[in-house]
Amino acid sequence: MEEQPKVGPTVLGKLVLFLFVLACIAGAAYYFRDLLAPGGRGGGKQVDLDEFRKVEAPDTKGITTVSEYKYVPGEKLPPVKGVSAYKWDAQKVVSFPINVWIGWLPIVAANGGFAPNADSIFAKKYGFKVNLKLIDDPVVARDAFAAGESHVLWGTLDMMVLFAPDLMKDSRSAPRVFQQVDWSSGGDGIVVRGAIASVADLKGKTIVYAQNSPSQYFINNLLLNAGVQPSSVKHKFTATAFEAAAAFVADKSIDACVSWAPDIYNIPEKVKGTRILTTTAEANKLIADVWAARADFAKDHPDVVKGLVAGIFDGMDRLKDATQREKAYQWMAEGYGMQADEVRAMAQDAHSTNFAENKAFFVNANDPANFERTWKNVTFVYRELGLLDTPVRFDEVMDFSVIQELDKSGSFAHQKDESRATFTPTSYKKMSAESPILTQTIRINFYPNSANVFEPQHDESGKAVANTLYDPSVAATLEKVARLVGQYERAVVAVVGHTDSSMKGKGTRFEDVKALSTDRAEAVKQALVKKYNFDPNKFTVEGKGWDDPADADDPMNQALNRRVEISVYPPEAK
Amino acid sequence: MTTGAPAGGSPPARREPPASVHTGLLRIREELPAWQAWLLGLVPVALLLLAWVFVTSGAAEERVISPTILPSPSEVVASFPLLWFDRALTRNLAVSFLRVVEGFLLALVVSFPLGLLMGSFTKVKAAFTPLTIFGAYLPIPTLVPLTLSLFGTAELQKVMFLALAFSIYLVPLFVAAVDAVDDTYLKTAYTLGATKGQAVSRVLLPISWPEIWQAMRMGFGVGWSYILLAEMVDVGRGIGGIIITSQRRGPREHIYLVLVIIVVVAFLTDKLWAVAGRWLFPYREAKR
Repeated sequence: MEEQPKVGPTVLGKLVLFLFVLACIAGAAYYFRDLLAPGGRGGGKQVDLDEFRKVEAPDTKGITTVSEYKYVPGEKLPPVKGVSAYKWDAQKVVSFPINVWIGWLPIVAANGGFAPNADSIFAKKYGFKVNLKLIDDPVVARDAFAAGESHVLWGTLDMMVLFAPDLMKDSRSAPRVFQQVDWSSGGDGIVVRGAIASVADLKGKTIVYAQNSPSQYFINNLLLNAGVQPSSVKHKFTATAFEAAAAFVADKSIDACVSWAPDIYNIPEKVKGTRILTTTAEANKLIADVWAARADFAKDHPDVVKGLVAGIFDGMDRLKDATQREKAYQWMAEGYGMQADEVRAMAQDAHSTNFAENKAFFVNANDPANFERTWKNVTFVYRELGLLDTPVRFDEVMDFSVIQELDKSGSFAHQKDESRATFTPTSYKKMSAESPILTQTIRINFYPNSANVFEPQHDESGKAVANTLYDPSVAATLEKVARLVGQYERAVVAVVGHTDSSMKGKGTRFEDVKALSTDRAEAVKQALVKKYNFDPNKFTVEGKGWDDPADADDPMNQALNRRVEISVYPPEAK
Repeated sequence: MTTGAPAGGSPPARREPPASVHTGLLRIREELPAWQAWLLGLVPVALLLLAWVFVTSGAAEERVISPTILPSPSEVVASFPLLWFDRALTRNLAVSFLRVVEGFLLALVVSFPLGLLMGSFTKVKAAFTPLTIFGAYLPIPTLVPLTLSLFGTAELQKVMFLALAFSIYLVPLFVAAVDAVDDTYLKTAYTLGATKGQAVSRVLLPISWPEIWQAMRMGFGVGWSYILLAEMVDVGRGIGGIIITSQRRGPREHIYLVLVIIVVVAFLTDKLWAVAGRWLFPYREAKR
């Protein structure tokens, strides 16, 4: 072969050059990796569990059972600007989307079915019609609401927390919550596999649930309350609760799922080795179903909004009658395209909240599971999970004006609070034979040898200083407990006091220490009962003295040992 | 040149075309310089953008479309850093892209031989045609729970779901590509003494290659339309998860931003397919 005169690099040279350029690009990409492919935010972050209790600005005055909000809702709600942008005509038909959920039974009963009709309570008593539409997908419901196609948005309060910031970008579609329809009461639950006995056992395990849904709030609130870092659990997300249940059944490597009835009850029956960890039958004041009206609609038609609220309460009255109730099941079945039996089977999933319960939810500032506390608790959980950038204040969404008006007129004074569980006194021994759903450890700094949670500070001579507290954060600590105990309204609670062992073997008698720890637990119980109006029989009290160190591997860690443990037990099987 | 349509005795086949077909704004199959093609392509995009700006300008309450439904272009652009950094756009994009590629390759393993056999042998075609027709009419979302119970919730399920969707789309196209090979080629091959195997491997396959490539190019885009369904379970990572999450808790801007990004990625990958196609089958680009 003859040598051809070549210009430029050889093949090898080209290859080397190419590799060099490639290496340069790769090197630059690696150097700027945080800029080119940032890791994102949320997840893996440690939640400050002490912050969890500071959700509420503590009310140190305390010790009143009912304290109503003094402000006028209109002062805090964002004003509506511009021209109203919803569909409305002389027919006066409110477009009210609902999902498949038994909590809507009162409005179905009041409306006499799904279609707008002249025989409904709304038409006869309040002069407008209601069109109930099945829109099960929350995203579609939200979009129809934002577009003004529907006047109302269904949802749980935790969904509203996530929806609100975006909807409020347009003051007309800002959601106004006027009424609570129900508490989820057995409709949501957590199913676990294997040896998981309590929430604390979920540490290091894999759970699956629908993201941005009540399921996410349910499980993460539970984890935080049990002192388990959400980041210490492996979260798998699905788009719907149905898929979460399906994924749990299909994938044996998943240890728990959060889903809805009927799946949560079907799975343990059909899949061996699974059981229910807890449901909203116990956490019966955690997930609140509400509806919100568009702000522009509420502003233009306060009478219609008032009629909606009152009509739903009328529907609850109507459901007291057995034949009316059967009729409502039938209507609901037709609207959902289900069988009446299927609808009847959902009856236990929710507890309808009547006027008295709405009053407690909206206007009683001291109710441990009211709107404000629920909203703030949801906001805290979601913000810590990195899901919420610009949270909305509760009073920018909550409008208790209608409930207040109805209270003044006394129209529903006959509806008494039916949600309060009744308890029979039980012993700690009997209760603790079962394993608790979760245990929350709190620390209250008691003055030495005192069992007074509100003990003032003492000066050098040992004299009490007025208007001071030995433990300044005691109100916030109690608030944290109250929220948990309030959410688990139907469950029984053990308050167990522990002391340190610093005086062990120094002449102090164990009986005295045990008595002191019992007194301290009792004091915590009394403080809760007084401020938040809990049933005293909900609690049992036990003092363990120094017998039960917090950390078995480090029994002399006295700071850890001085503590009170709040354990939530499922209500006794009847 | 005469204009109009002079009636005459000349045979119609020989008639000169009227000059009007070569003039005017729109001409059938005219040659267009590249710059003009680009420019014309930009016009609808610009109009769309303009319309977008028009319906989303002004204060939130004064817009034609509320920002809770459609944010303005500037709002969408402004939310980009949040998407890029806080929501790790590139990582999620890479995850989704990889899933699409894996699903596609897996689909090829099944659909390519099947399509070739169906296109070549009438009996195989008769056997599988009902299945492909069924597949074409199948609402793909219903397959999500099925793939869940078969393949679990992790990576495998997503790839398998995409592979299924790809296969359903690709098989009929492959069959059509092989079908389109002219009989003359086969006859010539037989005259030259080709066996059955040779007829498939030396005639049908090479001649249909460019069409098969074209089918793959079109099919690859399909994966992106199914990515949302594929990533519905275990939403943690991937571009579909970003959309699902943004629908539930905002910001709305990210939904549209991700859509735009998917379009850009689809456009770029499509260009790659085209370039590769030109390189592999230069004769296809030759003037006919």
